[in-house]
Amino acid sequence: MSLQCTDLSVSYGSRQALHALTLSVQKGEVLALIGPNGSGKSTALHALAGLTRPDSGSVELDGRALASWRRRDLAKRLSFLPQAPIAPDEMSVEQLVRQGRFAHVGLWRAYGSQDQAAIDWALDSTGLADLAGRGLRELSGGERQRAWIAAALAQEAEILILDEPTSFLDIGHQVEVLELVGRLSRDRGVTVILAIHDLNQAMMVADRVVLLNRGRLSFEGPAGPLAASGLIEKTFNVQGRFVDLGNGAAPHFDVDLRRSRR
Amino acid sequence: MNLAGTIQTRFPDWPLWTLAPVALLAGTAAVFMGVVNMPPGEVLNVLLGHGSADARLIIGDIRLPRVITGLLAGIHFSVAGLLLQSITRNPLADPSIMGVSQGATLAISIFLFVAVYGFNSDPHVLYSLPVQWLPLVGCLGGGLAGVVVYFLAMRHGLSPLRVTLCGIAVGAVLHALAMGIISGWGTARLEIVMQWLAGSLYARSWDHVVFLLPLTLLGLLALPLLRRPIDMLRFDADVARSFGLSYRRQFSIILLIACMLAASAVGAVGPLIFVGLVVPHLARFIAGRRFALVLPLTIFLGATLVVVGDLVGRLIGGSQEIPIGVVTAIGGAPILLSLLRRTP
Repeated sequence: MSLQCTDLSVSYGSRQALHALTLSVQKGEVLALIGPNGSGKSTALHALAGLTRPDSGSVELDGRALASWRRRDLAKRLSFLPQAPIAPDEMSVEQLVRQGRFAHVGLWRAYGSQDQAAIDWALDSTGLADLAGRGLRELSGGERQRAWIAAALAQEAEILILDEPTSFLDIGHQVEVLELVGRLSRDRGVTVILAIHDLNQAMMVADRVVLLNRGRLSFEGPAGPLAASGLIEKTFNVQGRFVDLGNGAAPHFDVDLRRSRR
Repeated sequence: MNLAGTIQTRFPDWPLWTLAPVALLAGTAAVFMGVVNMPPGEVLNVLLGHGSADARLIIGDIRLPRVITGLLAGIHFSVAGLLLQSITRNPLADPSIMGVSQGATLAISIFLFVAVYGFNSDPHVLYSLPVQWLPLVGCLGGGLAGVVVYFLAMRHGLSPLRVTLCGIAVGAVLHALAMGIISGWGTARLEIVMQWLAGSLYARSWDHVVFLLPLTLLGLLALPLLRRPIDMLRFDADVARSFGLSYRRQFSIILLIACMLAASAVGAVGPLIFVGLVVPHLARFIAGRRFALVLPLTIFLGATLVVVGDLVGRLIGGSQEIPIGVVTAIGGAPILLSLLRRTP
């Protein structure tokens, strides 16, 4: 498995959202994209999922351009969860998660035991087994977000791309999602690429952190060197300090409210 | 657990099993009842291949093809409505949103306009007009409008919103053109167009059945393969594509099938207001969470409602029958309003 983009540039009308981005991920790696609002995180994820046509550059999975993949074949390998997905109101949690199996069942094949197992696993992993029959509209924002994650999981793809999966979640459920990401990569060798706003969570969960600023890559590497680079304060226009928590834990960024620059 | 609850859990498909006999009953009633009061025994005789010449004419050549045309047109309109509502994610979508009704109207206006000057000099003579060509002309006009809307929308990326906006814009232009042509007309042509515009099953023959049936079968046979894409297209494009749907291809196929069904039905019986809009909502309301039921319910309900609507129009109006389009519009509005009240 290798997913990489080379010299990728994307623009929306006259606004260039991404400038010559080059990235690659390895099997089982967790890659976190951070950056200010409008820095191109979402655009990068869309391009990596083959949903945006780049102006120039390429995105390749196993050496083949994403654009040349059949959508269903691609969906068996790669699953993507956008930021604010829309579903029909009357759909239940289980029905949503079942749609995640479309790539496997196709237009007419009946759902088999393997599909049911994937659905059950996805519901269990997101703690939704008890809510399976509930309508999406009856869920809290956090539960709905987890239902969508479950649908992406049911796809059983080896690459999982999540656009801000922890927004709308309280701290408890944020940690649950991050732990799930860690488990997927450790136990199942799933590659996870996620955009995330919380710097500390990004440094905690990711093997590598990618910092984007105005559509350009300004840092790529593990949390330690990122902390040492001083780029966080500059890019986000804040002041603070990195605290070493010891025991090999990721560094922790402590933002200083009073002395933050205008 | 109460009885209704027990029935719901023991027989999850109960709406289908209830509706099928109702549909059958409605069809039978529509053949046995009519403006000409004929004893049931005689109707039965005709159906079994006997009966007097008069009875054979009334039942075999007038009533039966009329009921079957209505049944097929009902299926076309309601399935087209369901498809369009699903893929445009717009609960108000119906065949007029793709410009199909307006395109058919314009084509028929132009055809009558040209036909009269081409074949006959007297625009006030009704029988000289080639009415047998109306279904085909209407179908081609409606289909063409749908295709124009499709290509206009595709140039901008074929999103549900694009299709809706292009459809409404194209529809408005076509409608204006048709009205412009009609306004400068003699009475006979006006009568034909008004009759057709009101949506009517009057004088529909076996020709109309033969015209519609192949397309009905084509559409219905394609539906099982479209079931999952239809569900998928109710998500936004990014989600559907991430789940593995070839969004553009499936969107196009379903859109074109919807246009084909709608255009042929509009051509044959005129624009039946509200059938395409209301029936899918009614089906969804009855089906609730059982998605698999929506499609068959739509087909049954569409056929039943048009046949019953036509029967009502015939029985109430007598020899001055009320066009089916008027009945469905008057009957459809309260159904839609009560459905809206019940959906939070």
